[in-house]
Amino acid sequence: MSGHSSAVGTVAGPGDDPNEFVFITPAEKSLKTGEFITYTVTVDGENRSVFARVTNRELIRGLPEGFLADPQVAPETVATTLGVPTDDTELYRLTATVIGYYNTDMTTFANPRQLPEPGTPLSIAPDRQLETVLPNLGCDTDSADVTDLDGIAHIGWLLNRSPEATNIHIPIEEFASTHLAILASTGSGKSYTASVLIEEMMGPGARASLLVFDPHGEYDTLAEMQGHETFKGEDGYEPGVVYYDPERLRVRISELEIGDVMAVLDNPSNRMQDRLSTAWRSMQRQESRTWGINELINEMEGIYGEDDASVGALEWRLRRSIERNDLFHPEDNVPLNDIVDPGQCTVLQMDTLDRRNQQLITTVLLRRMYRERLDAVRGRDSEIEHPIFALFEEGHRFAPASGDAPSLGIMRTITSEGRKFGFGLGIISQRPSKIDQDVLSQCGTQISMQIQNPNDQDAIKKSIEAAGEDVLRELPGLTPGQAVVSGDAMNTPALIQVRGRRTQHGAGSLPVIEKWRDAYEQQQREPTHSEAADFGGGESTGVQSLD
Amino acid sequence: MTESATDVVTPNLDSCVRIGSIVSSNSHLDYVVEILKGRDCDRPPELHEREFGQPVFIKKVVDGTEHAVMGVIYDTKLVDPDQGRTGPRLAQDDQAQFTPGYIEERTTLAGVALLGTAVITDNRSIADPTHRMPRWTLEVDDTVYHCPDEVALSFHTVDEQLQLAYLDRLVDIAGDLGSEVIVALIDRLRRMLPEDDPSQRTLDVVEQNIEWQARERRGVV
Ligand SMILES: Nc1ncnc2c1ncn2[C@@H]1O[C@H](COP(=O)(O)OP(=O)(O)O)[C@@H](O)[C@H]1O
Ligand SMILES: [Mg+2]
Repeated sequence: MSGHSSAVGTVAGPGDDPNEFVFITPAEKSLKTGEFITYTVTVDGENRSVFARVTNRELIRGLPEGFLADPQVAPETVATTLGVPTDDTELYRLTATVIGYYNTDMTTFANPRQLPEPGTPLSIAPDRQLETVLPNLGCDTDSADVTDLDGIAHIGWLLNRSPEATNIHIPIEEFASTHLAILASTGSGKSYTASVLIEEMMGPGARASLLVFDPHGEYDTLAEMQGHETFKGEDGYEPGVVYYDPERLRVRISELEIGDVMAVLDNPSNRMQDRLSTAWRSMQRQESRTWGINELINEMEGIYGEDDASVGALEWRLRRSIERNDLFHPEDNVPLNDIVDPGQCTVLQMDTLDRRNQQLITTVLLRRMYRERLDAVRGRDSEIEHPIFALFEEGHRFAPASGDAPSLGIMRTITSEGRKFGFGLGIISQRPSKIDQDVLSQCGTQISMQIQNPNDQDAIKKSIEAAGEDVLRELPGLTPGQAVVSGDAMNTPALIQVRGRRTQHGAGSLPVIEKWRDAYEQQQREPTHSEAADFGGGESTGVQSLD
Repeated sequence: MTESATDVVTPNLDSCVRIGSIVSSNSHLDYVVEILKGRDCDRPPELHEREFGQPVFIKKVVDGTEHAVMGVIYDTKLVDPDQGRTGPRLAQDDQAQFTPGYIEERTTLAGVALLGTAVITDNRSIADPTHRMPRWTLEVDDTVYHCPDEVALSFHTVDEQLQLAYLDRLVDIAGDLGSEVIVALIDRLRRMLPEDDPSQRTLDVVEQNIEWQARERRGVV
């Protein structure tokens, strides 16, 4: 047997589960749960490194608990008093689950279907090997320099090892085409992690076409990528970051489907719904794509007569909910070629829109883009000739598990069909249990971070079949920036520390105290308190310039 | 005696009270000592000087160096050779009967368990205490001395830390009374240490552990 010199433990025997074994380590070989270990087996006459994950650790020999009776007396002191040696006394029994050996033909793990013999020495899996085999990188050896590969995102490193010791690169193509979910409580690092991935996707290696639906204005700092050295390509490539503020977010009325209109109208009666549907269909059959509410009402009056009470009631509702809502416009639309381009990340700033408007703009944009992608793949004229990836903060808002959202339908369509058409979604949410199950379960790659709520934990468990109990058990205890990455982008789930951002982090809670103090100081400096409020601007006398 | 806990006068090992002499042994670490009576010496040990849990020592010269083999009284036994005889006794109380090879008079025997050893210094105190098992055998008739508390404390201070490293061996020898003899030793050490000495708390923990184990062994808990 090889590897005795680096051995950290010895196999004792099989564990409870068919894939489990138990091994023993002395105290100084401190192995944490989640650590990856290897042993050698012979499969078909070839020596293979089998990987296993440490799932449990218990002390089987150590100082008796009675030595801990007084918190002010160290147990080692008691031990010394009794002449009990305190070095090398502890023995641990650890449980590990076999992941498999890396099958270079299938480029994933294969189960050797045999547990290690008792007495088999175990080693810590080498960093480089783990870097190769943990993510789904398709390498044809089990130890490669993965930084040479194209289209990978350096997301962080294994949490159990020293910082940057075992770097995890996930294949961008995998998560961008089979969808991504980032799930965690508020403040655990979802937006941060998403930004790290955006940085990776916008680098010269991938030059992605990205859209960020940002209901909170958390992605303002991504603009720093422009002009930043690390994002520049040798051929002069530089990522573009485009912000679309709410003033430029427009929905052309003719893009709305009848269901969308119903969703914004106040409680329409059955008869109203009937009449509107008929008129809407007839408007949609017209040549013109730039009609407004006036034209629609004319159409209704043409069909039902000018004195029809339902038409009157509909007119009032339509003017109130659509005409007076700046989001809707007879002609203006968000030009798709403005917002999607390779090497461009477009942030749709929706922070001043109400929830309904956020859903509607999202619905219409997704529908338009999906149509273009369909056309592109089917060889028809299309405004979007390349794959796209759209990221959603507050994903449960756009694909809710209960309640209606006009966007739910198109979200379901894209998550189930999008991979065929080069349309990937990234769903970020702090309430996984409130996300539509169909949408969530279609997200092939999952990044799960700290989450406490049992319903949300259950939702994650249900949607991540691949991640075993042992990995999910970690979720409540994670701190911000720590994550479990699982699914299509990985060959086996791993607990990682997400790397630091290259651009600053814009999200996060308001620095309340600082704001109070600034505001107070500001107030003290005002010459008199009775003067009309002056929020800066041209005429202010020197107060600002003192800073 | 005039010493108090605070002003410690290191007693001279040569002026220690003789408790008795060895008459037999049960094992390498377990000896039987016959306690001296007034008839045998000028100053027989007082009752409290040979009580249960009393540390004792025996002097041994090994390889030219004088050592103190340390022990503790862990048991006592009264022997009355007349017990079981029928009829009135003719002999006077103080009239010795000649019974060779036997203890022929009423005697107190003490069980002494060996704890470790120390070197006897030129100024007649001890140094280099160790709680490892003593390798030397004691002889019949070896004198067993009363060990003053100061010496006992110094025997229990190894590398400047309080130690009772012989504990498991002592429990083996003393059997059912093992925990009691240890508690008695701990009490003695505790009295010798300042109230605020950190070792006091350590001794508490050790005592708790020993008592708890004894209760478990006896099926109380
Ligand atoms: N990988 C990381 N490295 C360093 N700090 C992080 C990391 N992830 C999160 N944080 C910290 O946690 C805070 C909250 O992260 P954020 O992404 O805004 O949370 P969420 O979007 O889940 O509410 C950030 O402001 C940042 O300080
Ligand atoms: Mg956030």
